[in-house]
Amino acid sequence: MIETDVTFSVNGERVRLAVEPRRTLADALREDCGLTGTHLGCEHGVCGACTVIVDGEPARACLMFAVQADGSSVTTVEGLQGTDGELHPLQEAFVAHHGLQCGFCTPGMLMSALHLLDTTPDADRETIREEMSGNICRCTGYQGIVDAIEAAGRELTGHAEEAEPAE
Amino acid sequence: MSDDGSPADAPTTGSLGRSVRRKEDQRLVTGHGHYVTDVELPRMRHVAFLRSPYGHARITGVDAAAAREAGYRVFTGEDFAHVALRAQSALPSYVETDQPVLAYEKACFAGEPVAAVVAADRYRAEDGLELVEVDYEALPATVCAWDEPTEPVHPEAPDNVLLQRTFDAGSVSDAFAAADLVVERELVTNRHAGNPMECRAGVALWDAAAGKLTFWNGTQVPHIVRNMVAELMGLPEGNVRVIAPDVGGGFGVKAVLYPEDVALCLMAREMPGIPLKWVEDRAEHLLAATHARDHRYLMKAGFSAEGRLLAVEADVTCNVGAYSVYPWTAGIEPLMAGGLLSGPYKLENYRCTVRGVATNTAPSGPYRGVARPASVFAMEAMFDHAATRLGIDPIEIRRRNVITPEDIPYKMPSRLVDDSGHYAECLDKALDALGYDVLRAEQERRRGTDEPPIGIGVALYNELTGLGRAASAGPRMPFRTGHDACTVRMNPDGRVTVISGVTSQGQGLETTMAQIVADAIGVPYEDVDVRIGDTDEALWGFGAFSSRQAVIGGGAAHNTALAVKDKVLDLAAGLIEAAVDDLRIENGEVYVVGEPKPQISVAEVARVAYLESNRLPEGIEPGLDATRFFDPIRGAFAAGAQVAAIEVDRVTGELRILKYVCVEDAGRAMHPQIVDGQIAGSIAQGLGGAMYEHLVYDEAGNLSTGTLLDYLMPTSAEIPDMVIGHVSHPAANPLGVRGVGEGGTLGPNAVLAGALHDALGIDIDTLPISPASVWKELQ
Repeated sequence: MIETDVTFSVNGERVRLAVEPRRTLADALREDCGLTGTHLGCEHGVCGACTVIVDGEPARACLMFAVQADGSSVTTVEGLQGTDGELHPLQEAFVAHHGLQCGFCTPGMLMSALHLLDTTPDADRETIREEMSGNICRCTGYQGIVDAIEAAGRELTGHAEEAEPAE
Repeated sequence: MSDDGSPADAPTTGSLGRSVRRKEDQRLVTGHGHYVTDVELPRMRHVAFLRSPYGHARITGVDAAAAREAGYRVFTGEDFAHVALRAQSALPSYVETDQPVLAYEKACFAGEPVAAVVAADRYRAEDGLELVEVDYEALPATVCAWDEPTEPVHPEAPDNVLLQRTFDAGSVSDAFAAADLVVERELVTNRHAGNPMECRAGVALWDAAAGKLTFWNGTQVPHIVRNMVAELMGLPEGNVRVIAPDVGGGFGVKAVLYPEDVALCLMAREMPGIPLKWVEDRAEHLLAATHARDHRYLMKAGFSAEGRLLAVEADVTCNVGAYSVYPWTAGIEPLMAGGLLSGPYKLENYRCTVRGVATNTAPSGPYRGVARPASVFAMEAMFDHAATRLGIDPIEIRRRNVITPEDIPYKMPSRLVDDSGHYAECLDKALDALGYDVLRAEQERRRGTDEPPIGIGVALYNELTGLGRAASAGPRMPFRTGHDACTVRMNPDGRVTVISGVTSQGQGLETTMAQIVADAIGVPYEDVDVRIGDTDEALWGFGAFSSRQAVIGGGAAHNTALAVKDKVLDLAAGLIEAAVDDLRIENGEVYVVGEPKPQISVAEVARVAYLESNRLPEGIEPGLDATRFFDPIRGAFAAGAQVAAIEVDRVTGELRILKYVCVEDAGRAMHPQIVDGQIAGSIAQGLGGAMYEHLVYDEAGNLSTGTLLDYLMPTSAEIPDMVIGHVSHPAANPLGVRGVGEGGTLGPNAVLAGALHDALGIDIDTLPISPASVWKELQ
């Protein structure tokens, strides 16, 4: 099958790949870029495990072909940590609030939550539950995830002192 | 905490009992977890399975010539016809049947693997599948376990019944004759599945020169996999290495050895030096990984006028699918249903016939809670119905029948022994947290108004956890799953490496094992590293099932760490010339009684043990390590109560959960966050099964819910915030713990059905509960 050259940036680094047109962005990230943090849970766009940020918007990397990412800027879970290795407040909050168990849905959860807090930093629990409903977690029952996102939101908006353990 | 059964040597300080930072989390939140799908090896090739499109069909021909001509390596059923999985049980009525590696004479369910194609990547492997021609001759399919089969699934069982057993205690006929009320109901529960977010996966590599197989497998049971793969391939067990790296959820689905696993290993042996990788996609998973909970309960219960339960007679049919899964057999669900149907209630007269019936559907296997989400629903339905008929409060009727601490040990009519009895305490605490009286008042106020009616539902249950050899999990299989091993090594720098037989699919066992060992020795939690999931490293572990690992693997870790601590103390005593009984270890330092300052560090003792034999006291060998097994012999029952308040939209039939409360006796909570996470996660799965998740077959055996667009898993928008409470009665094992992994799934069916009965007076006989089913009942 004929391969096509694509160029995009991943976590700030320029990547140039030759890919078959049918290759998904998820496979290109995982197998060609070695960024295996992006997980595949259903490969039909429902579970959200493969969520990455493409040009500022969350996208299902399983439903997007790599060629469609040509010229775009992609952020994956590997790009969340600071250059000094410090965890992003969302990552820290997921750890602190037990927002993960097996960790398989976590990268997609983090990327969806990142976009939520970018757009609605003061999201309340109901908003968080509604907005995060595109990402399925089978382990946690979502309680720790909602707690974590709520806490990270407070941290990012500078209201961390109001943090109370959620009921 | 109460004082019953408190273990003598349980540590009172240290990391246990605190929600320390999980060892797993740093890698998992940064995208550096290492799942089977992330295994990348030189010369790796990818496998795709061709699956039967028929629920039941004779295979009359497989033509792979075109695929082979195109350069694909193809394996078909005939290639592995000499190998079959055979789940064994010594139960008298059990009909043993074979499960082929790749189907060759006939396909018994839609999705059964028929052939496999190997290619450079998965895209090409799937291209190759299109070049393999299989000729099928359709056979009549049986989908419902209580329908007469026209064509049996297995010729050995003409009626499709693979197992049948009757539990019998007391005299039900006498008791029914004396009863003031007899309640009869037919209850049907919905087929659903564990559906972990990571599907199944394997990488197999055969080293022909060494005669060794390495198999990376997303499994809950690596030692069980090693044991059977070695046997099926005729290999010395020590030459098979099974590695379960990070595993993305299991819930029982991955506690089974599957034909795809065996196929992968057999194919690898045919292709020496080439790692073969198979990563299941979700469509395959929904088709061919184990399903569960497709049951029918014909229930009859007798009560006295005061609401005393006098007798239960039940006939339970479980759809076990096309094959008896290895190693659990077709008995896993029916026997659990019959053994624990009476749950936490006192009962003398009990007759229950359970059967496992084969059908042309995906095999049923263990799924978190095994049968009890259904059996608890069946039992609680009896109480809800009887309470209404007798005019007794639904909470009160349960109080009159529940096993109490005074009844302990209580021998259930199935002869299981309940060592818990703290149900009423769980219930009281749960009702308190729910705000029962306020809600009852609000329910009353709304009667006769246009506001949506409120209903309160309740379920009491017991979770049988940490089963030792006397009550071993599984239906008389050829092995007893009561024990696990642990190795603890103190390294020359004084840090500790734990090599445990436990496995983790999200339960945080690395963390828990580290806490246990750190506290038992007296070193900081940060100084303990844990390695799990590799059969070349860990001596033995049966793996994750039956809520066993905190109790059994934890007990092994604790006892092993104590043995290492004794060695450290012996050596330290020699080095500082003190009496060993006067020494204690705290935070990595050795203290002598009465001395406020430490006398020697654990690190220095460890250095001497490995590097300075010149300083070794007389009679002490180098090294600081130990390996121990632990078997609790009996199990530990964990009591639980769930209550919820709902409101129902009379127009749409939709129910909304106002508040959901669960109180369990987890014994001593080693890591409160992990314990609550297990409970919350299992309740969410229970709610999914009660309201959304349903695997539906058409009459020909085609799965009509083959994607996550049709098979609805609950999201954050459906699952409510839950209130989780505890009564913590230590169990009689070294750590005082009870298993906590499954109980949450047991309540939701019963709680929501009961709440609907309470709100609207309707009887829910068929699950899942949907707005449509409620609406229909209301018409």
